[in-house]
Amino acid sequence: MRDDPSVIALVARVGDGDQEAWDELVERYAPLVWSICVRYRLSRQDIDDVGQSVWLLLIEQIGKLREPAALPGWLATTTRRECLRVLRAGRRYDHEGLPPDDQMPPDPSATMIEQEVIVAERNAALRAAFAELPQPCRELLSLLMSDPAPAYAEISARLGMAIGSIGPTRARCLDRLRRSPHLVAVLDDQAGDGIEVDDIEIKEPRGEQGD
Amino acid sequence: MSKVTKGWDDEEVLAALQQALRAQRAVPPEFIEAGKNAFAWHNIDAELAQLTYDSTLDSARELSLRAEAASIRALTFTSAHLTIELEVAQDSLLGQIIPAQPATIRIQPREDAEITLTTDEIGCFSIQPIPAGQFRLHCRTAAGVDALTGWITL
Repeated sequence: MRDDPSVIALVARVGDGDQEAWDELVERYAPLVWSICVRYRLSRQDIDDVGQSVWLLLIEQIGKLREPAALPGWLATTTRRECLRVLRAGRRYDHEGLPPDDQMPPDPSATMIEQEVIVAERNAALRAAFAELPQPCRELLSLLMSDPAPAYAEISARLGMAIGSIGPTRARCLDRLRRSPHLVAVLDDQAGDGIEVDDIEIKEPRGEQGD
Repeated sequence: MSKVTKGWDDEEVLAALQQALRAQRAVPPEFIEAGKNAFAWHNIDAELAQLTYDSTLDSARELSLRAEAASIRALTFTSAHLTIELEVAQDSLLGQIIPAQPATIRIQPREDAEITLTTDEIGCFSIQPIPAGQFRLHCRTAAGVDALTGWITL
């Protein structure tokens, strides 16, 4: 995955003691931490415990992160380790003889974690790109994404937009979204053969990306 | 089709955006808030002591003890150099530092002023009354090792 320059900048600002940058970092990556905890089927209390440890470890070590661009991977690995820790603290797995985490063999969940990182980075980039769209675009796309999606007539009435221009405006807004630098940074090498957005199951490694 | 994003047509990009926003909404605001609060630890030069045992999470123990004994809560926090063991007694919170050594314990309630106490020679201490809300313990040994627990709620 290509480095996202905005993440590198955030990490540097946090290192300088910038609380706003930290807040932004937490907002960006909380869904990643959360989704991994959910994958481990932790209780809400355990998820809070894992979250607390992960953020504390991050603030403690952020100055020592040699590769700020590797932050998502670091967060995912740390979250996974913390999930195993709380499971072990409850001794729920004692009888299964789970080895200490530094001796954990690569298992299917490691692949799952990689997939979660890719999805989380893509999602974060999409949200960042969306947040930078002009207000009318965000309004229109939000309406189109609501469930159930309103009819064009209703959209027209709510946004004061001619029915005939909804389609072209939608296309323009989506194109603008697609061209956002946030997306270009993250998606360039993911999008080789299209992305199945609803499919975050573990997949076979992708073949050569030829044209 | 845009040259930049190869396979992404309008439907795909809209579906992807929808999923991205949904993933964000799935995260409770308190979870994010707690993460932001971790910034208070910035530049605190202490090891993080993590919860490594909690009797309320120990289902095997609950089964093996009779109901009246099972209500005694025990917690263990472990950092790289220190272990802090806590046990909730009737009207106090008993603790010990391992390896046994004298230390200063600062009880830091989230919503209240902190309290400082000193352990005995073998690292035992007693906190009275039991903190009502969220708190954390900051432990500094005579040898200068600092450890800080995460937030604790009893």
